[in-house]
Amino acid sequence: MSCLLQLTSVTKSFGAVRALKGVSFDLRAGEVHALLGENGAGKSTLIKVITGAHQPDEGAIEVRGERIPSLTPGEAHRLGIACIYQQPALFPDLTVAENIGIRLEDLGLFGRVRWGMRRKTAKELLRRIGADIYPDAEVRSLSMPEQQLVEIACALGAGARIVVMDEPTASLTREEQQRLFSVVLGLRADGVGIIYISHRLEEIFALADRVTVLRDGESVGTRGIRRSDASDPDRSGPTLTENELIQLMVGREVASIYPPPGTQPGATVLSVRRLGCSSSGVRDVTLEVRTGEIVGLAGLIGAGRTELARVLFGLTPADSGEIELGGSLITIGSPREAVARGIAYVPEDRRRHGVILEMPIADNMTMAVHERIFPGTWLRPVAERSLAERQIRELGVKASGPDAPGGSLSGGNQQKVSLARWLATKPRLLILDEPTQGVDVGAKSEIHKIIRRLADEGMAVLLISSDLPEVLGMSDRIAVMRGGTIAAIFPGGSDARTVMAAALGQAVGAGAPAEEESPC
Amino acid sequence: MLLRHETVLLAVLVVELVFFGVAGRNFGTADNIANIVRHSVEIGLLALVMMPVVLAGGIDLSVGSTLGLCAVLFGKLWRDGGLPWEVAAVATLGIGAAAGGTNALLITALRLPPLIVTLGTYSLFRGLAEAITRGTDAFTRFPPSFLFLGTGRVAGIPAQAWIFALVAAAMWLLVHRTTFGRSWRAIGFAPEGARYAGLPVGRRLAFAHVLAGIVAALAAITYTARFGTAKADAGTGYELAAITAVVLGGTSIFGGVGSVHGTLLGVAAIAVLGNGLSRVPATMSNAGELSGLLTGMLLVLALAGGAVPKWFAERRPR
Repeated sequence: MSCLLQLTSVTKSFGAVRALKGVSFDLRAGEVHALLGENGAGKSTLIKVITGAHQPDEGAIEVRGERIPSLTPGEAHRLGIACIYQQPALFPDLTVAENIGIRLEDLGLFGRVRWGMRRKTAKELLRRIGADIYPDAEVRSLSMPEQQLVEIACALGAGARIVVMDEPTASLTREEQQRLFSVVLGLRADGVGIIYISHRLEEIFALADRVTVLRDGESVGTRGIRRSDASDPDRSGPTLTENELIQLMVGREVASIYPPPGTQPGATVLSVRRLGCSSSGVRDVTLEVRTGEIVGLAGLIGAGRTELARVLFGLTPADSGEIELGGSLITIGSPREAVARGIAYVPEDRRRHGVILEMPIADNMTMAVHERIFPGTWLRPVAERSLAERQIRELGVKASGPDAPGGSLSGGNQQKVSLARWLATKPRLLILDEPTQGVDVGAKSEIHKIIRRLADEGMAVLLISSDLPEVLGMSDRIAVMRGGTIAAIFPGGSDARTVMAAALGQAVGAGAPAEEESPC
Repeated sequence: MLLRHETVLLAVLVVELVFFGVAGRNFGTADNIANIVRHSVEIGLLALVMMPVVLAGGIDLSVGSTLGLCAVLFGKLWRDGGLPWEVAAVATLGIGAAAGGTNALLITALRLPPLIVTLGTYSLFRGLAEAITRGTDAFTRFPPSFLFLGTGRVAGIPAQAWIFALVAAAMWLLVHRTTFGRSWRAIGFAPEGARYAGLPVGRRLAFAHVLAGIVAALAAITYTARFGTAKADAGTGYELAAITAVVLGGTSIFGGVGSVHGTLLGVAAIAVLGNGLSRVPATMSNAGELSGLLTGMLLVLALAGGAVPKWFAERRPR
């Protein structure tokens, strides 16, 4: 079988973060090659290298046996590499034919648009993928899956031989999925190589010929899959089962580097019942967090974890269900109300939401407690400084002083500043969203110790993390979210495979049955 | 950063003073200095309240029109309403607050962009002023006790300079010494970040706009007292002069960065330039055009002066 694409030992770093650590990957003509991995394993980076959006630091890229020294997006297009994203990137106000024409025709300056031709091409391409779409329809009027089909038609028209599909079914219904699958299999039969990214194992087993699993920026192996309909004997490597696949994704054993719990959880601090927020896709969440307890919130990106946190913090207020805090029913209509009630939220995106980069550390640390430390609205520089200095000392923030701007700190130290801001509010419930994302190993374990100490001091902690070992190692209980709701709750120290299976929607033990995920 | 924006601006102001002191005719006399102050109080007041709006990442194009509307309504209340001018003045401040409140409501409750909202009210308020006077009516013959505000002196200093000094001091304290100023700065740097920190973003923005309205009304009063007439075209173009002073004074149009003393220096640099040019024989006849030209150059240089080092810093090999 001919090799369409060959990546050899590709590395890519962003600052201190090594996103790809020598990944090799190959794609053959006429195969569906699935790419799998946890959030942050390096899938998107690898895709961006393949489409030319990122230049690898090291490693070689060969397309059809030809070495490509520097792959740019234009070059990738010329070589027949196309990418279908989850959210189609079409011009909504133009017609289908126009959108296809823009991608495919090279008019040059003063070129004349030949409308008849344009429409004919569009019709022909749409027919080839079996899409029943009118070429003169405005893209705005098409559904998401129809837009995806237009994207695929574009890729086909551009003569794409390598098609990357990034979670194409994330927002499709079952029938739409089936239609997409037949298009994918049609492309495959035509000898197109397809790189297929999906978190849904059943899709991978239905479609893929081979699967490559990425973990922490490394490829942990490429395996053949015995497809349900497969009769093709020409399969290299051992085939694998779903369980083996999950094991590959989860990988390493959970090391006992996490601080042990100190106290038994006490009274219930937060209790939500059938909580929902239709605008953010959170639905029917029932969950309790007690004093001294760390509840881990696991799940895939888009499972609704951050959305749930935003509901609890009043950024997108709930429109159904009940929230009980410290025994009394409350509503949370804005972050201010949440703060007043003793809820703190250390957000995921610390550079945009967690820390104001241009402002001094001290200003950042007192921002959520203006009323308390500046009564009568007058700033009190002495009180502010002493609070900041104490927090810097207690959390071990490495900075030149309280006046250093937040942006001058490393990621881990910014995270500590963000945390300090919320500790200053002395919250009853602390929600941490990806507290160690992009943080180096040393700062990571310091942050873990701080979190455990806070719980031991009686705080209720809700810990959102895509880092499975972290959730497993830190949490007293683990709630797995999927499709905007809690899919399963496991006791602390549960098996990584069980939790991952629940997150992926595989029915295991207490996991809810697999069902359609709501679009994110 | 050794070379602060304010320091550079202070140097520019000193250069202006020295140059016009030497080259200008009767530039440094007490009368002329009082004259400069009288002429710059209204734009200065508007700049002082424009500053927090810009600091918080917004803009208010309507302050000049608010001044015009308030001047006309003040005249109407006094002449046709028969109110004593003191009462009319207080009512006018309320009208200013309502005008600012209109902007605030549209911006914070409906989440419309401040540029568009205040561009709308810029026309709306001026249009109202013209409708009230039918474009021709002017209010005159104010009592001397009122005109004193615009022409009199207290302790040898123009009366309105005291008002200005009071507002300037209050604004300085508000911006640099209270949580209001801190919040405006935070909102200017990162509006989402400020919301995530639990700051009352909407209320703080609303306050800045209401304050702008009130002080624009105050400027309408000193303006009317200075000219002795209230007409619908009062304060035309003042919003741009105020924005120029604020930006020249080092407040970033993107929000977050800026100081009240910088704004004061910006006001002074522009006022001295305009007056000085009219005192130098060579430029006397076309001082108006020249001052516009030079103010523009100053502004462009000030902005470029801030951007050029950054441009180089970004291109420095790491």
